[in-house]
Formats: sequence, C-alpha cells, structure tokens
Amino acid sequence: MIFDKPDSVELLDAVNHFLNEKIKDEVPPHLAFKLRIVENVLNIVSREITLGEKLSNEVIKDLRELIEKDTANIKDLALLIKEEKLDLQNEDLKNLLVKLSKNKISIDNPNYSTFKKLID
Amino acid sequence: MNQELGSLLSKKLESESINGEIINLEPLTGGASKEIWKFEVKLKDKSEKYILRRGSGIEGPLAIKTSDEAQIQKTVRKLGALVPEIISVSSLSEPLGDSYIMKFVEGETIARKILRDSEYKNAIQNLAFECGESIAKIHQTDTAELSFLPKKTVNEQLNDLYETYTVFNQASPVFEYTYLWLKKQNFGEIDDALVHGDFRLGNIIVSQDGLQSIIDWELAHVGNPLQDLGWICGNSWRFGNTDKVVGGFGDLKDLLDGYNSISEYQVDQETVRAWQVFGTFRWGVICLIQASAHLNGAINSVEKAAIGRRVSETEIDIVDLLFLGGR
Repeated sequence: MIFDKPDSVELLDAVNHFLNEKIKDEVPPHLAFKLRIVENVLNIVSREITLGEKLSNEVIKDLRELIEKDTANIKDLALLIKEEKLDLQNEDLKNLLVKLSKNKISIDNPNYSTFKKLID
Repeated sequence: MNQELGSLLSKKLESESINGEIINLEPLTGGASKEIWKFEVKLKDKSEKYILRRGSGIEGPLAIKTSDEAQIQKTVRKLGALVPEIISVSSLSEPLGDSYIMKFVEGETIARKILRDSEYKNAIQNLAFECGESIAKIHQTDTAELSFLPKKTVNEQLNDLYETYTVFNQASPVFEYTYLWLKKQNFGEIDDALVHGDFRLGNIIVSQDGLQSIIDWELAHVGNPLQDLGWICGNSWRFGNTDKVVGGFGDLKDLLDGYNSISEYQVDQETVRAWQVFGTFRWGVICLIQASAHLNGAINSVEKAAIGRRVSETEIDIVDLLFLGGR
C-alpha cells in the first residue's frame, strides 16, 4: 500500500472514538439509537478489513475439498444444495454450513448470543 | 417540520371533534419503515396523549398499508384482544398520508428495558402465558371483515420467501438447505386465521402489571396462525437472553399453556419448532428486503444498510437449531 498512516482501521477507530466520546451524549434519544447502528457498521468494516480475507479463505478451502472442485465458490455450493446434488445428511456438509455461518457472524456481530453460546 | 405535522394533526383531529392545541409532539424510535410520533392534545382542563403511526409510502412486499392496520386493530378490539383504541385513520391521498392516530397506552415497548429493568421483574414472570392467551384470541378473529388482507398457505408463504431470497442474487447455502428442510415439515393442521405476523417484544406494550397492548400490525395476514407461536420463539427476538426461549423472558411450556387454554386446537412443542425455523428464515428474508431498499437506491439509510449484515444472525440460528441441538 502506498498510503500513509493512519491505515483504514486506525481511521475508523478514530471516528468511532469521536462518536462515542463527543457525540453520543449530545444527540436526542431517537438519534442515539441510530448512532449505535453507525458504530456497529464501522466495527463491521473494521473487522472485515482485519479478518475478512482469512475467515473467507478458511471456508472456501473446506468448500472446495467437499465438492472436489478447486474453483468452486459460495454460489456453487448453494446451487448444489438447491439441486440436491449433495447428500443433505453428510456431516461434512453440515460442518461446512456451521463454519460458514460462524465465520460470517464473527465479522458481522461477534457479540451475537448464539455465536457466543457456540464458542463457549 | 414538526410545526407542519402539528397543524396536519390538529386538522385531522378536528374532523373527529377533538379540538385542542397539539403539544409535546416528539418522534419515538419506531420500526425501520414507519414513523411513530407521540403527542398530546391540550383540552380545557386536561390533556390527552396520542400516538401517530405513519407509513413512509415505501412498504416492503410483506407489509400492508398503515390504514389497514387500523382496521385490524378496530376488529380485534371488538373481540376483547388488547390493542390501542383507534381515533382517526388517514388514507395515502389525505394530507397526513397513510397513517392513523390511536390512544397512547402507558407502558414500555423497548425489549431491553422490559428484560433488564427491575420494575418489570414480576410482570415478565407470567408474560409468556399472557402472550399465549393473547395470540390465541387474535387467532379467533372473524376474518370476514378483513378481506383486504393477503391470504397465503404455508407452502405459498414458503415459496414466496424463497423466491424473494433468490431475487436478491445473494447465494446462501444455509437458506437453500433451510428451504429444503422446511418443505418436509409438518406445520399443524389448523384452520386459517388472522396472523399478527410480528408478535414479539418491541411490538407489545408491557407495564408492571403485565401485557397491556399489541401493536405494529404491518405484517398481518391470513394463514396458518401457528406461525405467531414460532416467531416469538426465534432467537432474534430473545435480545440476548438465549436461555429464555419465548421472547427472552419465558418458557415454551408457559406460552403453549396460555395458548391452549383459549384455543380449541392444541399445539405441541414439535410443531412450534418447525415454525421457529420458518420464522428465522422469514426474518432473514425480511433483512434482505430491508437492505435492498438501501442497495437499490430507493432510500439511503444506514439502518437499512446495516440490516443486510444481520442475515448472518439468522443463518447461525438456523444451523444451531438444525445441527447443533439449539432450542
């Protein structure tokens, strides 16, 4: 990357800090609710930049092993399930769907109750 | 803007012979697609509190008109179900737009407050039973007066959800699996009835004395009514209290005891479970619909954008229910 510091995650962190420290207490209640959403969005972006590629690659690797095709992606898996070309009772398929769901939620909302319960 | 809205409200209420100055007009946190305003009308020796519920004009494909919600509330109120009294209804072509004014009901709607604040500690002990009773009463509504409501069999609803999901061209292996699973389930052989469609914390008003009112009828329709029981059991509506299956506050047995105390049709837990998966899938598709309003440029909304990233919550809930022993 040719860009100077702060990097994108550090910039997002600064914005989030500003919203939390300077803005949060100033806004009326109906906007405080929206401000929380804004903070959540910034955190999703930050996590995706930091961890997204790794978590995505983990799933794609397992997916390609399962369906034995080294260019396969999420769309291919969805289509194979739709057309019932995979055994729906196959434990490897179930494990793949679990891993896919866990990796997605760990970017989108790692505090989500079901995810926290499952990683405990 | 508030002044303009105030004068529209004032004119509308005059037509219902309610004459007084509009005061304390303030927006409340509503759903993602409706405006909710609280206000008071200053009368001679007192003031009365009201709520305005107003559609944005851009309804999702599952939602009904706001003025039709008012008609449902009027109808179920006659049956003795707990809903706020409707004062005035405005159609899309009137200055106030697609909306209605109802009496303000004291109590709390915010789920986290109801679940966490000590003042509701006693109220939530019996809330699952009360919800079961209320849901059963809603299901006894004579739907003849509600002929404008969409009517769908389970299979039609399921296919609608699936087709809606495919329109967005965002492949979900979990949703594909879920759709196949749902097609094989038994959803209970019960007559079609009025379905609230979104019965959960956030859409009910709770006071220290328990359940006070059922609001937010925008997803109402006619169909297999047992979906209301599965919906409130979805983890999305437990607000972090995962152990309490019913809405984050109660047990399934209590909900069903309440329901079965009123309903002729007796519901078992296994049927509710199928509806729970259905409801979670449905919420996932609703998230897709909400996000699409932002993505297709119809509206620029950070809330709607953010909800696209909640689809993954429904996927983890579904794999938990189907493969990992989740309840």
